[in-house]
Amino acid sequence: MTRTLMTTTALLAAIAGTAQAQTAPEVLETYADIAQAKYEDSLIAARVLRDAIGTLAEQPSAGALQAAREAWVEARVPYQQTEVYRFGNPIVDDWEGRVNAWPLDEGLIDYVEGDYAGPSDENQLAALNVIANPTFELSGEEIDASEITPALLQDTLHEVDGIEANVATGYHAIEFLLWGQDLNGHGDGAGDRPWTDYAQGDDCTGGNCDRRGAYLTAATDLLVSDLEWMAGQWAEDGAAREAVTEDERAGLSAILTGMGSLSYGEQAGERMRLGLMLNDPEEEHDCFSDNTHNSHYYDGLGIRNAYLADYVRIDGTRVSGPSLADLVAADDPALDAEMRQRLSETMMALGAIKTAAEAGFAYDEMLERGNAAGEALIMGGVDALVAQTRSIERIVAALDLGGVEMEGSDSLDDPSAVFQ
Amino acid sequence: MKRFGAIALSVCLAGPASADVDAALDRHILPGLDAFADAAAKLERETAEDCRAEALRPAWNAAFDAWTQIGDLRIGPSETGALSIAFWPDARGFTPRTLSRLVAESDPIVFDPAAYSDVSIAARGLYALEMLIHDPAFADYGRDSYGCALARAISSDLAGQAARLEQAWEEAFAETLRTAGAPDNAIYLDEDEAFRALYTQILSSLDFTAEQRLGRPMGEFDRPRPTRAEAWRSGRSLRNAVLAVDAAHALAKVLADWPLPETDAAVARVHEAAAHIDDPSFQDLTNPQGRLRAEVLQQAVRGVRASLETETGARLGITPGFNSRDGD
Repeated sequence: MTRTLMTTTALLAAIAGTAQAQTAPEVLETYADIAQAKYEDSLIAARVLRDAIGTLAEQPSAGALQAAREAWVEARVPYQQTEVYRFGNPIVDDWEGRVNAWPLDEGLIDYVEGDYAGPSDENQLAALNVIANPTFELSGEEIDASEITPALLQDTLHEVDGIEANVATGYHAIEFLLWGQDLNGHGDGAGDRPWTDYAQGDDCTGGNCDRRGAYLTAATDLLVSDLEWMAGQWAEDGAAREAVTEDERAGLSAILTGMGSLSYGEQAGERMRLGLMLNDPEEEHDCFSDNTHNSHYYDGLGIRNAYLADYVRIDGTRVSGPSLADLVAADDPALDAEMRQRLSETMMALGAIKTAAEAGFAYDEMLERGNAAGEALIMGGVDALVAQTRSIERIVAALDLGGVEMEGSDSLDDPSAVFQ
Repeated sequence: MKRFGAIALSVCLAGPASADVDAALDRHILPGLDAFADAAAKLERETAEDCRAEALRPAWNAAFDAWTQIGDLRIGPSETGALSIAFWPDARGFTPRTLSRLVAESDPIVFDPAAYSDVSIAARGLYALEMLIHDPAFADYGRDSYGCALARAISSDLAGQAARLEQAWEEAFAETLRTAGAPDNAIYLDEDEAFRALYTQILSSLDFTAEQRLGRPMGEFDRPRPTRAEAWRSGRSLRNAVLAVDAAHALAKVLADWPLPETDAAVARVHEAAAHIDDPSFQDLTNPQGRLRAEVLQQAVRGVRASLETETGARLGITPGFNSRDGD
């Protein structure tokens, strides 16, 4: 207790700005500046993706499909780094399901094959295939889907029937339309949708190529407009920026809540450990494209740069400033050193997964039953994330962010949303 | 939902009261793990004798009862270990799919007891066995069928897991909690951290009961989801919720060596609310009366959480840590 008390007193002095170079308001400004930069980068990259998808829909070719896939992979780099803003900021948490919902019952959107489960007790619409069906019945009501628009996807289809696996929008819906199902199980290779799924006339494969192109275009338009909205929330006078900067303690809590919840329950728990223990090749975050190693890596990097207040933009410029690390170090250098060390260890562990995946050992191969090397790689990431969560908890205790009611993830706010 | 909880500015009102991590281990956690290991071993023996669904149900129920007393702990060896004993909720239907695949392929892994631990957690543990011995799609297997071998494999694997879990706590992790603050303890740097770890487990368990065990089947008012109830096939849904609250209460009482009158009263309200529930598997949530009673029960469970925070964490000025089941 004694140590905590001394720490608390000194830190409160630091927060009050009495004798420290870095004050909490400055730290929160940097946090908001970096959020703005990350969402703007995500928006810029999504617009590039939208252009590539426009080309694919209008002048389909193998090259156009490949270019769109590359643009998607690039667009994920800044977006994944924003995930650390989710859990601490209700404005982000309430919105993020529109853009990054996962996992999905992709049969809702388009044709599926292999051992895809089809309609289940949980989800009667798991094989609806809206691309092939201009009208369909929903709870006894006929739905007109003859024109595929952003509004249809967002307002009618997304999470239809209250089922979170009915993902009609966002990065992963787009990913499915670019790659298709990964039918290789735990073997080599990602989804292999032919470019002719977008071809016109007799060349069309998979049926309804025009509707598929319309779906892909509408989903990407929606992604762009959603990211525009979120970038605005962090701009000058934006609501998300105001929410974190109006109260110092609540703002610092938001930073730490985002770091801890993403590290522990979400990334280490749901996305990594659970997927590994289920041994299911679809239980990876980017299961169509086999880009999961990057998703995990950039999530980890986002956590790290939230603490260090240092973000490298997609054009290479840097956004940095007074950081939470500065605040902690001003009072308890050992705790700051521990946190930095843990964050670095996580990046090494996630880097090992990324390195192996880039060398050909894909994430879905690591998940295979009995694959000891894959298990060790993934659990290395899990253990590092769990260890860094303990350090985050120590900082929460040291900062004494008491009396703050914080918004959590939708798993607790909305019980039906767990395992989404 | 708050994450660190309502912390209050009560730092250092602790006074003479102190949290008793040793008592929590010696009087609740370790005996609970031992009882679960015994119950799982008994289930394994009974399965070896008669593997058929009907014959297994009593021993399976006893094992599940034992599990509820320590099942919501998600620290140390239980952090990973609990997942392969109790994989739930299963929103995407992994358990029926994985069991169906094993049966359809007559996967020979069920004949190799040691290797079964490599199988997906969806086909291991208490819930996989529940599906196998209660769901009509699986439960009518005969003595010499593949289903019988599958039941044996799951039971043996479960008994092995229960024994290893107990051992891991007994031989290592209990000591880690007891020696919080010792120079060579890299996990818990002071006694507050060990208290916080256990305190977080108690609150997380109550959250899980309110929001998952009860909240999942309740769904939305106009769209209840009774088949999302925990263990509804075996009629254990209500029982699990009440036993989990009792376990959280019991652990809190040994962890805090001072009286918890508000918490005791809140737990009594949980029992009262539970007594009014007609269907132990929550399948009556589709009628307004059933739903209302479930809502009363859910509020009562949240009330236990609130009382506990006031009477334990806030009193010591300690806030809960992050919850391992806090993903989205």
